[in-house]
Amino acid sequence: MAEVVLRDLVRRYGEVVAVDRVSLTVADREFVTLLGPSGCGKSTTLAAIAGLERPTSGFLAVGGETFFDSGKGVFVEAEHRNLGLVFQSYALWPHKTVQENVAFPLQLRRIARAKQKELIHEALALVEMESFADRYPSQLSGGQQQRVALARTLVYKPKVLLLDEPLSNLDAKLRDRARTWLRHLQREVGITTIYVTHDQTEALSLSDRIAVMSKGRIVQLGTPHEIYEQPADPFVADFIGTSNFFTGEVMEQAGGRLVVRLADGQAITVEGGDGMARGSRATLAVRPERIHVGGGTAGSLLKGRITERAYMGARWLYTVEVGGQAVRVETEADLASGEVALGLPERDVAVFPAPAAG
Amino acid sequence: MATKIHAAPAASTGDLAPPRSWRRRDPLLQYGIALACLLLVAAPILPIIYQSFIDRPIYEDGQALTLVNYANLVGAPEFREVLGNTLLFAFLSTVIAQVVGLVTAILVGRTDVPWRHFFGDALLWTLFVSHLVLALGWVIMYGPSGYITGYVMQLTGGQPWNLYTIPGLSLAAGLSLAPLTYLYCIASATQQDPALEEAARVAGAGPFRILFSVTIPLLRPALVYSTILNFVIALEMLAMPLFLGGPVGLRFFTTFLYERGFEAPVKDYGLVGAAAVVLLIVITLLVLLQNRLLRNAQRFVTVGGKASRPRLLRLGRLRWAAFAFLLLYFVFGTGAVILGLVLRAFTSFLSPLVPLVDTLTWDNWTFIFSYPVYVRSIVNTLEIALVGGALGTVFIALVALLVHRSQWRWRRQLEFVALYPRAIPGILVGLGAFYAVTLMPFLGGLRNTIWILVLIYIMRYLPTGFGAVAPTLMQIGHDLDRAARTAGADWWTTCRRILAGLIRPALLSCFAILFIHFIKEYSAAVFLYAPGSEVMGTVMLSFWAQGEAGPVAALAVLQILVVAVFVVVTRKLFKVKIYG
Repeated sequence: MAEVVLRDLVRRYGEVVAVDRVSLTVADREFVTLLGPSGCGKSTTLAAIAGLERPTSGFLAVGGETFFDSGKGVFVEAEHRNLGLVFQSYALWPHKTVQENVAFPLQLRRIARAKQKELIHEALALVEMESFADRYPSQLSGGQQQRVALARTLVYKPKVLLLDEPLSNLDAKLRDRARTWLRHLQREVGITTIYVTHDQTEALSLSDRIAVMSKGRIVQLGTPHEIYEQPADPFVADFIGTSNFFTGEVMEQAGGRLVVRLADGQAITVEGGDGMARGSRATLAVRPERIHVGGGTAGSLLKGRITERAYMGARWLYTVEVGGQAVRVETEADLASGEVALGLPERDVAVFPAPAAG
Repeated sequence: MATKIHAAPAASTGDLAPPRSWRRRDPLLQYGIALACLLLVAAPILPIIYQSFIDRPIYEDGQALTLVNYANLVGAPEFREVLGNTLLFAFLSTVIAQVVGLVTAILVGRTDVPWRHFFGDALLWTLFVSHLVLALGWVIMYGPSGYITGYVMQLTGGQPWNLYTIPGLSLAAGLSLAPLTYLYCIASATQQDPALEEAARVAGAGPFRILFSVTIPLLRPALVYSTILNFVIALEMLAMPLFLGGPVGLRFFTTFLYERGFEAPVKDYGLVGAAAVVLLIVITLLVLLQNRLLRNAQRFVTVGGKASRPRLLRLGRLRWAAFAFLLLYFVFGTGAVILGLVLRAFTSFLSPLVPLVDTLTWDNWTFIFSYPVYVRSIVNTLEIALVGGALGTVFIALVALLVHRSQWRWRRQLEFVALYPRAIPGILVGLGAFYAVTLMPFLGGLRNTIWILVLIYIMRYLPTGFGAVAPTLMQIGHDLDRAARTAGADWWTTCRRILAGLIRPALLSCFAILFIHFIKEYSAAVFLYAPGSEVMGTVMLSFWAQGEAGPVAALAVLQILVVAVFVVVTRKLFKVKIYG
């Protein structure tokens, strides 16, 4: 059982708060992703779990063992945590062969030579790199290096697997394949995994749960579906996928529905918005692929004009001007420039209280 | 990358947990390394400062604190003379070094002067020769009864020049320091992004305009750095002022310390201490100034990503004039000085009035290999350079690893300590270590052995060796040690098993640089050698004064040979980088 518990974890660098009271519990065998833009504190959080960064305050335990507790002054060094960390740069030791790289953690643990051989073989087989055992890292491709890095980490059966953007140095095709492969591997080994990335596709396809981070805090924690369908705030709505934003005034609030009037007089009806008073300002978010071109659906209709069209292969991307605002619309339909009607289904529009008008 | 998964190991925990026995090893080692470094650097300095504030020699009882030494120093009749001479000498030799160094660097680095690759290497040769040996060469060739001086005298009938003056001394010192300026400027000049010059060219500037508006201004950090460096070296130089100024009674700070603290029958400890502290403060301030001036040198960063060679300035008809300048500088500044030593080493008497063939002899060589003091000095020097170089490299590597590869809380302060010896003149390192050994009985075992020399040589060249190791350490990605740490290695294991292997080339360079410096060093040993622990430098220093010019010249030639062979072998065999 290796449950990871973070409570009120804080990491300050002088005035800058890199990690701001992060609390998170990762269940045994769960795959949780820390997702956010660069500088959001996700990598610092991961380094704190690994023991490479000493947090300023808070509590951290893995598998029931306290690794950091500012109240009691406990801090366990990285080398005594028995966690596995795979780096974005892979960090394979260039002067050791693949075999020697994988053997190093076992040598540190004074494993008998025969047992070492067996474990190395097992780990390299797991990542399908057995035939490369005598190569040096510089003789391997990026994808191969990444798998060796994973083998080096899994060989000593760490309590938790920590992955810091492990796919970001691979090219797009390889990344897709590696993603599928990584997910299978994690299920198969059954190891608690914390994954850091800024890539929403990776997060959505790999994770059991995602923690979206911004400015050192977790702004939303939920399953990929929850994060995508019910973003907690405009930041999440924009960061996960893309969203078109509208701002307007609440005209009516009744029966779990809200009617919001935009600046140009058009109105949008949305589900939800409980507790938002009439007359207050609201921000609406709707995804480009959820907008129905030409109307044809229950919900609000907006009038607009196609100003730009871009062919994306499988789909078209249109820029539609609605009340002086550019709206992104993705659809399979091939449309000519000119007037168009946009249908916004009620349940596909997210609503948030707008920040005070400035 | 198929998605088929082999039988996977279950994620059982505990059975492969890292061993815990060495949990507290790192802090002990880290504090140990830092403490050793602090002791090594502080041991020679503190006794000097203390001595300057007490009323009697440091080893005598009944000491009382006093400022009278400083009053005596300022009141000493020769103090003004010493101060004036030292500043004038340091100023003149720095100006000469900077002008010659800059001109040669631009000619070799940025123009199409003939033989530029030969000069590029040859101009650095003097860096491998100690100032003591160069001083001897200058005296032999250009001194009042020097070989070349005599030739010119025969031709013109009168004394053509006098080397034993402050300008003469400054010329000798300046030309010996110029290669350092050259080294810093050439590195900077060849690394300049050619786009910067191309931009000026496109804007309509001619080649000479580009040289003065773009190329030279971009060399400013290199010039500032080497100016202060050379000024400091001139201030702390002992051999040239002693050999070229001594015979005519010209006194400088270092020779004053040497005479009053070493040669004089009755030594004024307090006065020497006070003079030493004044010198220490001046040089410390200069080094701090150097750091400060270069702090925002970032805007001079000119290294572009591309490795293209900058376009060379076409000199046209001036090409051969520039070539003649470089050749004259090389022949008369380096070649003649070394040749003088070689000639003197193989003759019984060197004079333009006597044909060379009549004086040729092996006597100097048979003498140095049969006379015990000479033999001992050679053996000791080699032993110190080899063993000291190896020990020094290990120690410097440990300090550099702690500074650049740990989270240890005092690492910045440790770096300052490790680099501070840059501000301590060699003669003061020796003087201070002499006091320290006198003061601390438990160091008595080191006294009069070569091991005290090994210690102070390592201390003196800590910054030099650090400079050879640190850049390589900083280039290694931090993920490599972080990976080792998470895999279960503590800091010490990470250093030994991961980092040591990655910095091996830098360690070899460090050893080579230490070896060369240890062979050349003499000023730090002056106060410390005793019968049995002589080194080549101190033997040359004392036997030259006794008129044994021939054997001393032979010893000097031997020193040059040892370094030359070492440099060629390490460069060829181990691809070690020494000075670029």
